[in-house]
Amino acid sequence: MKLKSHVSALALASASIAALTGAAQAWTLEEAAKPYAGTELEVLFLDRPGYNAAIKMLPEFEAATGIKVNYTTVPYENALGEQVRDFVAGGDLDIALIDLVWIGNFAENGWLVPSETFIKNPALADPALDMADFFPLVLDAFGSWNGVNYGLPFDNYSGLLFYNRCMLEAAGFDKPPATWQEVMDTYGPALTKDGKYAYALQSKRNETQSADSFARFLWPFGGSFLNAEFRSNLNSPESQAGLKFRQDLMKFMPEGIVAYDHAETVNAFAQGDVAMITEWSAFYSTVVSPETSKVADCVEIAPEPTGPAGRKPALGGFSLAVASQADDAEKAAGWLFIQWVTSKAKAGQYLEMGGVPARQSAYADPALAATYKFIPALVESWKEGVPEFRPRFAEWPAITEIVQEWGTKMMLGEVSIEDGAKTIGEKMEAVLAEAGYYDGKKPLAQ
Amino acid sequence: MSFRVPRRTIAAFLGPAVAALAIVGIAPLVYAVWKSLHYFNLTKLAQQRFVGLENYGAVLTDPVFWQAMGRTALLFLIAVPIQIALGLLIALVLHRPGLTFWKTLTRLSLVLPMATTYAVVGLLAQVMLNQKYGVINQMLGWIGVDAINFIGDPTNAFIAVVMWDIWQWTPFVALVLLAGLSTVPPEIEEAATLETRSNWTVLRHVQLPFLIPSLVAVLILRTADTLKLFDMPFTMTRGGPGSATEFIAVLIERVGNRQFDIGMAAAQSVIMLAITIVLARLYIRLFYREVR
Amino acid sequence: MAAPTNRRHAWGEGVLLLLIGLFCVFPFYWMVTTSLKTQVVALESPPVWWFTPTLANYREVLFVDKVGPALINSLIVAVSTTALAVGLGTPAAYALARFEFRGKRDLWFWFITNRFVSPVVLAFPVFLIARETGLRDTHIALILMYLTFTLPIVIWICTDQFRSIPHELDEAAMLEGASQWRIFRSICLPLAMPGVAVSSILSFIFSWNELLFAYILAPKAAKTAPAMAVTFMEGYDVPYGKIMATSTLIVVPVLIFALLASKHLVRGLTMGAVK
Repeated sequence: MKLKSHVSALALASASIAALTGAAQAWTLEEAAKPYAGTELEVLFLDRPGYNAAIKMLPEFEAATGIKVNYTTVPYENALGEQVRDFVAGGDLDIALIDLVWIGNFAENGWLVPSETFIKNPALADPALDMADFFPLVLDAFGSWNGVNYGLPFDNYSGLLFYNRCMLEAAGFDKPPATWQEVMDTYGPALTKDGKYAYALQSKRNETQSADSFARFLWPFGGSFLNAEFRSNLNSPESQAGLKFRQDLMKFMPEGIVAYDHAETVNAFAQGDVAMITEWSAFYSTVVSPETSKVADCVEIAPEPTGPAGRKPALGGFSLAVASQADDAEKAAGWLFIQWVTSKAKAGQYLEMGGVPARQSAYADPALAATYKFIPALVESWKEGVPEFRPRFAEWPAITEIVQEWGTKMMLGEVSIEDGAKTIGEKMEAVLAEAGYYDGKKPLAQ
Repeated sequence: MSFRVPRRTIAAFLGPAVAALAIVGIAPLVYAVWKSLHYFNLTKLAQQRFVGLENYGAVLTDPVFWQAMGRTALLFLIAVPIQIALGLLIALVLHRPGLTFWKTLTRLSLVLPMATTYAVVGLLAQVMLNQKYGVINQMLGWIGVDAINFIGDPTNAFIAVVMWDIWQWTPFVALVLLAGLSTVPPEIEEAATLETRSNWTVLRHVQLPFLIPSLVAVLILRTADTLKLFDMPFTMTRGGPGSATEFIAVLIERVGNRQFDIGMAAAQSVIMLAITIVLARLYIRLFYREVR
Repeated sequence: MAAPTNRRHAWGEGVLLLLIGLFCVFPFYWMVTTSLKTQVVALESPPVWWFTPTLANYREVLFVDKVGPALINSLIVAVSTTALAVGLGTPAAYALARFEFRGKRDLWFWFITNRFVSPVVLAFPVFLIARETGLRDTHIALILMYLTFTLPIVIWICTDQFRSIPHELDEAAMLEGASQWRIFRSICLPLAMPGVAVSSILSFIFSWNELLFAYILAPKAAKTAPAMAVTFMEGYDVPYGKIMATSTLIVVPVLIFALLASKHLVRGLTMGAVK
């Protein structure tokens, strides 16, 4: 893969620079931060476990560097808008929080500083940065666009199957479903009874609909949003099969599933009303904590079931990058923070506090897998993921709105799967035509 | 009577207010019209260009826009008659003599819903209407009705918005109509009650003529507020599920704030504004006392 | 014969009044009690009516989640825009009520139309203008934009009020050679104080309640309380207790003002169409 080779070249370069400078003088965060003491950094955070973990780690960073990190917590649904408006208006955000589907957009608008700028600067680059230690898929997908890396993976997810072992055992299953077909044929009917449901699929009309619901049933069935010519692939037999499968599976889901966002879905699972959910790894701490979960002792984690085309699990997550609108001191300070919070050295602490690091080294210790049951499934998922699970180009924010609207209409039965897919396809192609993909103005990158 | 005064004096009195409203009210509108003639997307500023009336063509032929308009009209057509009927009932009860203390107390409680922050009204709806944790479903359970999925089902969500609109604005309608009832000369009312025992006849022939101004005021203001309705559905359903509660202001906010297509949102706004002004002019002609 | 019917009537009426009162007040009762619940209690199904109340939600939203500063922002914005609207609006209202000039009807119609314009129409262009002028995320931007609805309220209500003041007073003053400005300041404005008070309270309520401008124009430093309440709606976790505590904090001040002005609220909301 082209992207991957670029990034690993970058990682190599950084390693060699580190080797050169590391020999000359010992790099320390304290020394590197000295010129920037008193700098204040503005960044948006979400109210999710990974951010709460980082917030708990902040005092240590601030004490060591004298750099102050001012975070503003916003809901995910507002995070894109707030950042776009801030960048367009030349606002005060110094660090960009990038969902993987925003990377193309932010990068093409020139709102981000490539990480190479800092990696090349021996005063700022930590010799122990070790870019190659990030899961390559995650570093590519979350932080890189067109072969250039901007962001370091910070709040990292893969879709996982959370299942209630007690409910499955009561219904005579001693292991989780391996394939979606099993969910449909055996697990679904056996577990949907007495007001309980086999499965819940968060499908609310926002990014949840496109990422968690729509795309989740395209890829394992061999479907995709676009074909090689960037035309809609949603009416291909594979895509149609996946979307029809999703529709059929709704009989094993609670009513009103199109109003379920993550909170409702996780809660239904945590209350013991639903036997299985496919959710982001980040929810692990919520479902195993007795304070928020009635089924904490029954929770087990597996990779998502496979479809005819393999596993291709949902991929999502956020990287942090330096915003180009920041001034030089803020840029340097911002890099130091990003580098520190995603570092190898801090990965263990981040994990302990509820975050999910993207460092391969963090998961090397086999003892960890006993404490954090999601680790084996996560590592496996990050080996089999597709970076373009949702296309990451600049047009995604426009396309996701279309998918959200028509995807929910399909599920509500207001439009047939074929017609809905056709409508999405037409509207999506109109957006892509406008962007200039079909007349050769733009490379076909997603 | 009015005074004739030098133009300079008039300008001094009116100038500041007119200038202020022109700056905050007109300048952005002019800017909106200008932007509506452009392809102008916040995430694609490089591709910004003049497109003439293209955006207007797109809006006028966009079923999503007209569906949102239709939904807004439907909300008005369902909610306002119910508000008027319930409001009239409440006003008539409060208008009857006796139980003065309790009636004053009730009047005070009527003031609360309409002053409540609209965004909070939507949040309250989320909490109270939840299928599992919501108190409304608990109450329905007491009378043997199964829990209703208010927020998750398109039809129910629309009904929930209608219900909440009724909660917030029926008291307002009641108080306006009560004010109207108080304009009926007491002699006439008493004479009428002596003549007939039917409350309906009194209402129809004696009170109604005095209520007409209040009713028209209710229609005008409810029209304006329904067209503006944003906060409550935004905090309650965000326009969902699907687009079941995507009213016109919610749609425009989504196009501008989430698709970042400011040009398109501006075109939608201008069309909505044109509709608003026509309605406002019509209504004001019909009703408001002109300045003497 | 007549007495029992009347008593039964009174009973029926009393029950009806009680129902109306409950209908209006119950949601507030539920809001306040939910704000005193912990997350675990708030998520009990079916909901519980008796529980040990806690102030933890209030402590958390005020001091951790920065609702305190947001309330202060709301206060600054609402008070300033109200003061500005009264300062600009009362002379204009006086002119509309007392002077004769060409274009008066059109001017009046223009003022009144503002009541009908949806904020969503202005919000995006104003965002772009604020971006050029550096007014984004400042109190000033919100104070100015809120004039679009506070100024018309003041003008309408006060025009009405000035008209109801007898002309004899200012005619006498005019004969003594007082200027229009002096008549306005010393004679009419003091007499119009009730109207000024009502329109101020209404301006305050409307500004305090506004969401859309605040949401788009003031993302951080000048963020107001309603915009803050919206930020708790993260799809990951819905903290009902915190949301309701924030809601209570937002709603209580406006409810107090509304009760203070209850007699005039209707007149204000109908823009003087109903006395």
